[in-house]
Amino acid sequence: MEDLLTKASARTGTHTGSRLIWLALFGFLVLSIAFVAVPVFLIQPFRPQTQRALEVSYLLRAWSPLATVIILLAVFALASWQWKQIHRWWRKALLLIILFLSIVPAWFARQNHFEWMFNPLHHSSYVKVADAGFVRDSDMVLAVKLNNEAVAYPVRLMAYHHVVQDTVGGTPICATY
Amino acid sequence: MWETTVDGRVLHFHLAGINNQNFIMRDEETGSWWQQVTGEAIFGPLKGKRLKPVFLDELTFGTWKREQPQARVLRPDEQIAASGKYAPADWEERMLRMPVATQISAPGLDKRELVVGINVNGTALAYPVTALQKQNPIIDKVGGTPVIVLMSEDGQSVRAFERKIDGQEREFFLKPSSSPMRLIDDRGTEWDFTGMALNGDLAGKQLPKIAVLKDYWFDWKTYNPNTVVYTLGDR
Repeated sequence: MEDLLTKASARTGTHTGSRLIWLALFGFLVLSIAFVAVPVFLIQPFRPQTQRALEVSYLLRAWSPLATVIILLAVFALASWQWKQIHRWWRKALLLIILFLSIVPAWFARQNHFEWMFNPLHHSSYVKVADAGFVRDSDMVLAVKLNNEAVAYPVRLMAYHHVVQDTVGGTPICATY
Repeated sequence: MWETTVDGRVLHFHLAGINNQNFIMRDEETGSWWQQVTGEAIFGPLKGKRLKPVFLDELTFGTWKREQPQARVLRPDEQIAASGKYAPADWEERMLRMPVATQISAPGLDKRELVVGINVNGTALAYPVTALQKQNPIIDKVGGTPVIVLMSEDGQSVRAFERKIDGQEREFFLKPSSSPMRLIDDRGTEWDFTGMALNGDLAGKQLPKIAVLKDYWFDWKTYNPNTVVYTLGDR
């Protein structure tokens, strides 16, 4: 009788432990997603931003590459532990799904989704004025002249790339629009 | 347009976000965030640092290439051009219909009205492009400095100068039916759109340039909250 009671309480104990681990797994997953999703939400192009929202976004963006990997490792450790404790196939499947979903924020934290929308020019190239058939006379350009070297950046191209690195007259610059 | 050397190190910038419709850049080297319109680092290890501005003209290609026939022009990326991602020819008109999301209060002008913004001796001034189209050049005085704001005959290229040469203030008038456009000052000297004297004793002299930002009113007002707006008939 006593033996049975001990067994029962031990089982309840494991049960509670197992629940806590599930809870921790879900909590970590939500936290990891929040790390990358909150800045995306706060910095939407056609929404106003407050200074506080920008600061939070900066901190999350700055820390998310490390934080999401630490969370991923924690999820992996917990899931490995849990794997040995459970036997039903659908619970194991759920573990794998949580583990997989935790990889997504760790990957996203290493992406610049603004550059998905506006691809950067990694290697800007140039033509002589006479060969610039792609610009019309009425198109606006950003024009710069340093140490007698003159360069024009057509606004229609700049409105897409937004940032172009260059060296003009020996001075490293970035044209922005 | 900014110089990218900060404390002896060349930074490389990427588009990293948006702050009330003005974009944020992130530098690869330190991860700091920079506001594009002010060139100031707003977060990160370089917070508070400022990029050195590069003097910039916003001109039509036609006007610019007449001044710089030997220069070079940024070429479109072929893949991006082929996928049709570059702005269409009429994108400026389209932008006028885009929503304005900032919560700033900018009375006086329509939020999407284009203004010519200048900063002289710490005073910010906005000249509505429509005012300049009606009265060209605009002769003004900002914080004691005599200025001229000038639109070329293409109706889009704008430049501003100090109206002072060798310490003497000058008045300017548009030379009637001149193409390319010419100015005449109150002593008969002719000047071109680059601010250079073409004849007389001053031939080859250059009026001091003032940086101009052609901007939407709401954006100019956001970053220059104390700006004055020029209204026609001020002087």
